[in-house]
Amino acid sequence: MVRKILVKTFIAIVLIMLYLPIVWMIVFSFTDTPSFSNWNGFTFDNYINLFTGQSKNAELIQSALLNTLFVGFFVSLLSTILGTLGAIGLHAIHNKRIKAAYSTVNQIPMINSEIVTAIALALVFNLFASTFKINDGSWGMTAFKLILAQTSFCAPYVLLNVLPRLQKSDNKIYEAALDLGCTPAKAMFKVVLPDILPGIVVGALLAFTLSIDDFVITKINVTSFDTLSTMLYGLKNGKHPLPADIRALFTIIFFIVFALMMVLYSPRKKTEKDK
Amino acid sequence: MFKKLLSLPYALFMLLFVLLPLALILVFAFIDASDGSFDMLANFKELAKEDALGKVVKNSFIAGFSTSAICLLIGYPIAYYLTKKEFNKKGVMIGLFIAPMWVNFLLRMMATKAVFSVLNVKLGMGTVIFGLTYEFLPFMIMPLYNTLLKIDKSYIEGAGDLGATPTKAFWKVTVPLSMPGILSGLTMVMIPSITTFAVTEIMSNGKMMLLGDFIYSLKADSLNMAATISFVLLLFMIASMAITNKYDKDGKGGRLW
Repeated sequence: MVRKILVKTFIAIVLIMLYLPIVWMIVFSFTDTPSFSNWNGFTFDNYINLFTGQSKNAELIQSALLNTLFVGFFVSLLSTILGTLGAIGLHAIHNKRIKAAYSTVNQIPMINSEIVTAIALALVFNLFASTFKINDGSWGMTAFKLILAQTSFCAPYVLLNVLPRLQKSDNKIYEAALDLGCTPAKAMFKVVLPDILPGIVVGALLAFTLSIDDFVITKINVTSFDTLSTMLYGLKNGKHPLPADIRALFTIIFFIVFALMMVLYSPRKKTEKDK
Repeated sequence: MFKKLLSLPYALFMLLFVLLPLALILVFAFIDASDGSFDMLANFKELAKEDALGKVVKNSFIAGFSTSAICLLIGYPIAYYLTKKEFNKKGVMIGLFIAPMWVNFLLRMMATKAVFSVLNVKLGMGTVIFGLTYEFLPFMIMPLYNTLLKIDKSYIEGAGDLGATPTKAFWKVTVPLSMPGILSGLTMVMIPSITTFAVTEIMSNGKMMLLGDFIYSLKADSLNMAATISFVLLLFMIASMAITNKYDKDGKGGRLW
């Protein structure tokens, strides 16, 4: 009995440590002070100003948000296409060596330390820029670079979410479709894709979340291009690192990501029950 | 055949943006930063001359080892008790420990720093280790939780039947059987915490640098030098991967999501 109380206390203390800063930020997003320390009355002004574009960092927030969503959307799209095709192909390959090569390459972006991945990508972009004489400073090139860089670590997550779906689905239906006169491409769209769609959706959402959350690889591979993460980094040296409008913005993002996670994790629970 | 060909775009992409970049690290680590000639040792000699490096390496090891040790000390009991139904009804609790990972880490660090400044805590090595522990605790809890969950309870009951006290059964059966999780957790905390970038800077108010911050600062002057340190880190990583793979044959211990 005593042990049970001790364990619960321990778990509670660690959880409080983990959530205190986040909760503190959410609470202080409803008051209009630059710092975290003094409560200046309850208000929705931070949120209203955010949407009407009247807050202090409005321009910064607007461009960072647009850049982040733009890059995130295309990273998610490209990762989903590459990862899904990769999974379908990998599932059809039975050569053990090729399979092992794929799984090693998939693991690299997950295990490799982010800063090493980032430097490695910077080397590649430098090489491409000097070989093809590309001026990589423009907004378009920067966004393009970022999309490629982030896709390199997001696509493997899509592949790993789609692959289990394929392993569960019955290949005979695809073959039957071929026997009944479907072209392979048509059979793919009509039979295989609907079957693995849940895995693809989860993979796409995961890629989007990973993309908007990325900091290290983004920061090292871009100059004069702000995403939400690099915008936060830019604010770190200010007297008050988290001003009121930024707190409100990230409170909204926190709840969106929270909702996304609920979506991401609920289908997985169902598949576990299926077993 | 048609299906197999579908994996080509993925393979090509990974070749260009995962394998080629790593290969370039190998190449650039051995290309002299000053004149662009091939030289096995030039960059390493140059690195040895950096005054800051000694301090950075020392701080990285202190921070890396303390963070891993603290994460293990906090993470093991949490993972252990959360595998028991009475503390983790419907798996909600384990979710609560993983969820903070989905909040941008810069935001969490800056919020923590702001809370520290309200509480008048002095920023330094202590707060850096706190920040790193906060950041990487889920990476310790998850592999431990997965390994502990897989341990066959009949081994522990068997130890009890043969006369071992619960404490003894824990140390002689549970801990050795959870070794793959411990190793996997240690690698997943140690290397990222040494090479992380920005956490140290924020949590020490820019007074301290770990290897990650150092690489970032080098990158502005010379990508070759950044590649040289990255090369050394890469060797460490391959070594630790080899060790973990040896103990974790099915490779499931390390997966986070």
